[in-house]
Amino acid sequence: MRHELEDIDPAWAWAPFGPSDEQPWDLRLVTHLFRRAGLAAGLAQVDQALESDPQAIVAEMVERSRLAATTDQPGDELSRTILASGDSRRLSAAWLYRFLNAPEQLLEKMTLFWHGHFATGAEKVNDARMMWDQNTLLRKHAVGYFPELVHGIARDPAMLVYLDSVSNRKSHPNENFARELMELFCLGEGHYSERDVQELARCFTGWEIRSRRFRKNRYQQDRGTKSLLGQSGPFDGEDGIEIVLRQPAMPQFICQKLVKFLVCDEPPLSPRLLAPLVSEFREQGFQLAPLLQRILGSNLFFSRHSLARKIRSPIELVGGLLRALGGTTNVVEMATGLAGIGQGLFFPPNVKGWDGGRDWINSSTLLGRANLVQRTLSSPKTRFQGAGLAESLEQQGASSPDEVVQWLLERLLATPIDQDQRAILLSELTGGTGDREQRTRNTLHLLSTFPEFQLG
Amino acid sequence: MITSMNRRRLLKSSVGGALALGVGTQVPRGLRAAASVLENRQDSILVVVQLSGGNDGLNTVIPYTDEAYYRARPQLAIQKSDALRVDAETGLHPELSGFSELLQDGLLSIVQGVGYENPNRSHFESMDIWHSCRRKSEPRADGWLGRFLELAEPVNATRSNQVAALHLGKNEQPLALRSQRVQIPSVQSVDQFRLTGHQGDALREWVSRLTAPSASPSSAAGLASSADDLLGFVQSSTSSALAASEQVDQALQDYQTGVDYPDSALGKQLLTIAQLIDSGIQARIYYVELDGFDTHAQQAATHANLLRQWSDAVTALVRDLERHGHGDRVCVLSFSEFGRRVAENASGGTDHGAAAPVVLAGGGVAAGVIGQPPNLEDLHDGDVKYQVDYRQVYATLVREWLGGDPVPVVGQDFETLPLFAAQA
Repeated sequence: MRHELEDIDPAWAWAPFGPSDEQPWDLRLVTHLFRRAGLAAGLAQVDQALESDPQAIVAEMVERSRLAATTDQPGDELSRTILASGDSRRLSAAWLYRFLNAPEQLLEKMTLFWHGHFATGAEKVNDARMMWDQNTLLRKHAVGYFPELVHGIARDPAMLVYLDSVSNRKSHPNENFARELMELFCLGEGHYSERDVQELARCFTGWEIRSRRFRKNRYQQDRGTKSLLGQSGPFDGEDGIEIVLRQPAMPQFICQKLVKFLVCDEPPLSPRLLAPLVSEFREQGFQLAPLLQRILGSNLFFSRHSLARKIRSPIELVGGLLRALGGTTNVVEMATGLAGIGQGLFFPPNVKGWDGGRDWINSSTLLGRANLVQRTLSSPKTRFQGAGLAESLEQQGASSPDEVVQWLLERLLATPIDQDQRAILLSELTGGTGDREQRTRNTLHLLSTFPEFQLG
Repeated sequence: MITSMNRRRLLKSSVGGALALGVGTQVPRGLRAAASVLENRQDSILVVVQLSGGNDGLNTVIPYTDEAYYRARPQLAIQKSDALRVDAETGLHPELSGFSELLQDGLLSIVQGVGYENPNRSHFESMDIWHSCRRKSEPRADGWLGRFLELAEPVNATRSNQVAALHLGKNEQPLALRSQRVQIPSVQSVDQFRLTGHQGDALREWVSRLTAPSASPSSAAGLASSADDLLGFVQSSTSSALAASEQVDQALQDYQTGVDYPDSALGKQLLTIAQLIDSGIQARIYYVELDGFDTHAQQAATHANLLRQWSDAVTALVRDLERHGHGDRVCVLSFSEFGRRVAENASGGTDHGAAAPVVLAGGGVAAGVIGQPPNLEDLHDGDVKYQVDYRQVYATLVREWLGGDPVPVVGQDFETLPLFAAQA
């Protein structure tokens, strides 16, 4: 079956979306935007957003994330305490706390994107400070200037430890980082040769980590001529990175991956459809903010090709549920739970990061998802706006069983369920076991086991 | 695209315990002739028990007639009178009484001298070699079992949403199971396969509705057709998962082992595996670890204790599976990253060595000892030389037990070993 995406006009796809009678600016589109540009809209955000228009909201969230990239955020205090303990496992909880509470959700979402892109595992690095410093680097440039992010990651101690590249000697150039820079970070397979890997590795000779810091060892630097991607000269590491960044494959590779992360899991967009976005990225000098603004404000983003076209990652699933309901919980337990179903923050599965999409789902992770929601909801530490779930929903104007179910469906689901499913939810809410609070939580858990709930 | 019919078929296969891996789809070209053998192998299962730390092979399988063994190990050697006799040259450590009985019942096979060229004595490096079948200079993105599972999964079809393999344990997932495409869960307990909560009737109603044969995917009006694909995928995965959960629940309630598993972590894990196998869960590979074999000092008591844990637990599993009618389709492979030096050290222990025996157990194995006892007069740098490349063991397992093409799994063609009884 060929997908209709093939027939879409690329110019239309990336043109700014304006609400129409067919696609009105309603709850469905508002929750979609906030789910993709973060975990979910907070309770107050939804009403504000409905009063505004999509282009203004997207512009504001991008700009505010850009400004927030270098300032302190919630969770920084907590992370400092954790760093003092040196426990990498608890780092996960620190970032999660920040993620759930950060007003600039897009900034955290993009930091997560780059964490998966420049995947580095705390298990191997085994140094909480290094991992947190990398996280800070990713956040600082998450919506900034892509080349600066790449230059930063090339000198990042955690990355170089993770890729076994802490020393790089003239007599024995380390190819690992050079390979990943082209294969995973900038170009993708097929856009360089084995020879390019060897030559780029020579550019990085003398780059090393000593005492947990980056430094250049000029005695180990190979000053000879290198032939890299069609150019030759006595290139050093910075030159090598610049040459890679100037390859035509780079903006295509980055745009493709960003679109998969923000717009739809599948199918991969054709180069034809991506072309306007790729041009924009190039024309903007590889600045990420205008690119993100273009993607999140586009016709394609608000079309049926994007709505419910992603499988929620574990953090989107549970974190999204909490944020949408104004919920708070024990983040240490939640971070452990997320790791159990495949998304330990600071613990990506391998150098490729999380593949996402259908790879999130199997029998064990699906049950794990439902069980994690159940554990979260049954924990006394989980509160909603400081109160019980039923009370909190009532404050939102959802009192009767019909209103409660309707409210949950509208805020939490990206795609509708059928009447039978709705009836099952209603019967749990009205006729299930336990008091009203218990039944409300059980209904929410039941909803989380629905296939529709896995789509975001 | 997953239609409701596909969903029914998936569901049926999960309930019926038949197979998630379509017959024929993954049969490599060169093996089509052996299709009938392979068909019988669709439901074969491999349980891997990794002995971490470097198990002392010489004190596991004892060359009790070899004077050189007793010269090299004045303190640690197992006396001829203590060894459990296997044949005229070979005995077992006295704590391996379970294995000794399995051997007599035709359920155990010992492969002598398994290792590889230029052995590496680093735990991590040698373990990575055993897991990935690759040396340090080569990229190690995946492991041998991961590659097998990837090849066994129908390409392009609806991604198999069944659990293809399972790692039980608290440790990081072993590299052996890593693959590019197939996600393998690591679970600490079987509870991760049960749906928790107290919804009672509503949940049961919902489960039965979703798993009923007449269920159809809810029509999601206004969404692009491929959105239905994604939703269809999640729907069929959910019904499989819920069916699996019911199966496991049922299995745990009903399961009567009738066998005494040792009260150890390994014993509990292997009992769980027996329950899962009996429940009809379709994982083909199970992976567990027993750690502590790095016996540099005061080895005797520690090693004896570890061997007892290992032998008792594996023996219980094999006996249990026999009783439940799964004996002929489950093979238990035990290996370690290396053996230990021939000579004991000054601390009453042994240091990192090289080749060592590998043990297979189960109803399908050709019982007995394969290969010669180690030649202790002809050592490599103080270590036992290998007779059998570990990849040859893997290749035989893949070709003759699991029913796959070993070449892409282990990296090259190897002659098979006579490990299995019913060889075609």
